[in-house]
Amino acid sequence: MSQVELIMPELGNEITEAQVDLWHKSVGDSVAEGEEILTITTPKVTMDLEAPATGTLTKILVEEDDIAAIGAVLAIIDR
Amino acid sequence: MPKSIHIDPSETRTRGVLDAASIQIHAYDRSISDEQSVRGDAELIEAYRHMLLLRAFESGIASLKATGSFGDLTYAYKGPAHLSIGQEAAAVGAAMALAPGDHIYGSHRSHSEFLAKGFSAIRRLGDNELTSIMEGHASGQLLRSVETHLSGATPTEMAENFLLLGFLAEIFMRANGFNGGMGGSMHAFFPPFGAYPNNAIVGASAGIATGAALWMKSEKRDSIAVSMLGDGSTGCGPVWEAMNFAGMAQFDHLWDTKGGLPVLFFFTNNFYAMGGQTNGETMAWDRLARIGSGFRADAFHAETVDGTNPLAVADAVSRQRAHLLEGRGPAILDIECYRFSGHSTTDVNAYRTKDEIAAWQAVDPIQSYRTSLIDAGLIEDAAAVEMERQTDALIQAVFRAAADPDVSPIVNIAQDPTLIGRKMFTHGSTPPAHAPSSPLIEPAKVVRIRQNAKKSRSGFDNDGALLSPLKAITLRDGLFEATLHHMLTDPRILIYGEECREWGGAFGVYRGLSELFPNDRVFNSPISEAAIVATAIGAAMEGARPVIELMYADFIGRAGDEIFNQLAKWQAMSDQSLSIPVVLRCSVGSKYGAQHSQDWSGLAAHIPGLKVVYPATPFDAKGLLSASIACDDPVVFFESQRLYDRVEQFQSAVPPEDYHIDIGIPDIKRIGSDVTILTIGPSLYPALEAAELLAAKRIEAEVIDARTLVPFDYDKIIKSLEKTGLLLIVSEACERGSFAMTLASNLTRFAFSVLNAAPHVLGSPNWIVPGADMEDTYFPQPADIVDTVMIDLINDQKHTQIGVRKWNDISLAKEGL
Repeated sequence: MSQVELIMPELGNEITEAQVDLWHKSVGDSVAEGEEILTITTPKVTMDLEAPATGTLTKILVEEDDIAAIGAVLAIIDR
Repeated sequence: MPKSIHIDPSETRTRGVLDAASIQIHAYDRSISDEQSVRGDAELIEAYRHMLLLRAFESGIASLKATGSFGDLTYAYKGPAHLSIGQEAAAVGAAMALAPGDHIYGSHRSHSEFLAKGFSAIRRLGDNELTSIMEGHASGQLLRSVETHLSGATPTEMAENFLLLGFLAEIFMRANGFNGGMGGSMHAFFPPFGAYPNNAIVGASAGIATGAALWMKSEKRDSIAVSMLGDGSTGCGPVWEAMNFAGMAQFDHLWDTKGGLPVLFFFTNNFYAMGGQTNGETMAWDRLARIGSGFRADAFHAETVDGTNPLAVADAVSRQRAHLLEGRGPAILDIECYRFSGHSTTDVNAYRTKDEIAAWQAVDPIQSYRTSLIDAGLIEDAAAVEMERQTDALIQAVFRAAADPDVSPIVNIAQDPTLIGRKMFTHGSTPPAHAPSSPLIEPAKVVRIRQNAKKSRSGFDNDGALLSPLKAITLRDGLFEATLHHMLTDPRILIYGEECREWGGAFGVYRGLSELFPNDRVFNSPISEAAIVATAIGAAMEGARPVIELMYADFIGRAGDEIFNQLAKWQAMSDQSLSIPVVLRCSVGSKYGAQHSQDWSGLAAHIPGLKVVYPATPFDAKGLLSASIACDDPVVFFESQRLYDRVEQFQSAVPPEDYHIDIGIPDIKRIGSDVTILTIGPSLYPALEAAELLAAKRIEAEVIDARTLVPFDYDKIIKSLEKTGLLLIVSEACERGSFAMTLASNLTRFAFSVLNAAPHVLGSPNWIVPGADMEDTYFPQPADIVDTVMIDLINDQKHTQIGVRKWNDISLAKEGL
């Protein structure tokens, strides 16, 4: 078993942070690689982030409405 | 970029051949007796009479221009005379096939198009409708003139005389003309008969008629819009933009009500664009109709039609009208005919031979049609001659009435010096008659709306620190909320522009709207700035209130005619019989250099007829955009991209509910007593920083945000100057010819007695906007503002310049800078 991190992606050269809007999954849920599990927003865009691996969502590190920097770890998936 | 349309490489990369539709040339082959059975004798004879009236009418104008007289009338007509003598069959044939609710948008050579459409509508409207239209126009005054000076045995006859007098009085720029004398020969129209603006700009009707058709489709009207064009207009980019816009595939694929726009591009092809020969010299096409193949496999049903025969034209227009009402639009007709008259009265036919003119005169549409009627036994020779005598006599009487100032009063500017000025704006606000359909989903389910609900309405947290744009309502959010309010409450609001739907506009102002509204209310346009603006104008003429977006203000150049000649002018040129409630949103960029960073608000302000708004705070942006959308006048609304993420720093909160800020009132953003700094757009923020630097020197600046350029209330600035005596105006537009210079010049006059120094303008230098890394050497910075106040206004000898502007304006001017 290994752990995979869900990272806040690069969103353009002027964007330094984004807001976690809505988790579509809870801790303990199974997720499939490519499945949209989280909605994030910047002032300009709303987008869904996909699970980077198939497994179980074991940790949510940034709660809804909180802001995370680009590159921050948002969640951990065990596979 | 709808995800529902999948682009499959295995399909797009498959070998194949594109087939083009066959285009019919002169396919009409009905006999007069065929037409008799379809149309009846009376309509066929009326077509002849209508052509005679058009010929006599334009011959009268030609005579006035050439000799100063017509029959027993002597009159110096000073206006234009773009005549279409020889082209009468095209105008009458088109009108025969159109219903009163079909709207034509004319060309600049449109006297005959207008009259023919009017005669056709009059034939189809009932007596009561005609009487009501005539009594309803100008409180029945024009009708009273007709009754007194021209009369008419029946309402139909009266209406024809009403049409002729109202139109000719307009050509003569008289107060009783259809447009109060504000339009003249190339801008005369009368909507109740389905004759919408003709247009002095070649090709301009294409985009406007397309927009009219867009709104006809939205309202599911059983009618079509016709763009009257000449062959020369096929060389105009905006005509191609309009045709592409009209044929957008989304109307068939993505709109709830499927089907193309009901617009007919009707090209009266007389083979010459003034003196340049379209066929063989200035165009690439061999037959005009071929341009239809440039768009779609059905070639927009294009056909070449014999424009010397009104029945061939009527047949073609009828068939195209049927295509359009079936949702198979748009359509193109190439109507070949010949202009016997010159382009204008200065035309000496240097570009064509007498033989050519004679060859076409041998197939004169009126003579040919008369012969065919006589041959078929519909009219006797003597009766035809008598009809011509009567139409000539009627036209002479109309000319006498239109020229007589007792019947047709001259517009008296000396008596009322601001009369024309008062036509520019209504300053009105017409509420919607009913609510729109419900949105596609509950608004509270939209991510954007849910997030805004959680944001702080103030820009500061409890400790007084500025909040992140993710935590507080931004200027972008203010614009969104104003737009959303109107979209939810007013079915006339229509939003489009490049990337406006799924993307939410290139800068995310509309993010979330596409979840709430279908394509017929929010859609992506092509990269066609001319068509974006022109279609908005046409839709507005038909009752819509479009809110359109230009991604960058720098793209105003791509829609120059549409903004400056069309959007700005139709309210006044129509004597306010038309209202143009369009909001044109333009973002002012930065960081992308010379072609993406220019503040052109001064260009818009220079053109009479446009309200110009440029807010700098979330509170102002929301209230001013809402007021602009509610306003019946055209508004150009500038937004700085650098300010989209600004949170509210001045008001305690941006109210969540809708509110309006009156357009035209500057706002004091910082109170001070020593110097007045008036800012336009984003210059507010460096001015506030400079004010703090000045405060450290014990100089208190009063900072006033212009907020709008047109209209502009000077009182607040004058009052401030009474206190401070010093004025600096800061703007990011380059200085030469800018609106800041206008403000400085006016305020020098208005407040001269209280000024202690000459007002100073600090704008951008008169060279290109540099790229991102050099921008702070270009746009006025706090240091530049401090320098200008200390050196130019206060004349503090001890001040050492801290900014980069170490140059001499007089020397630069000699270099063209």
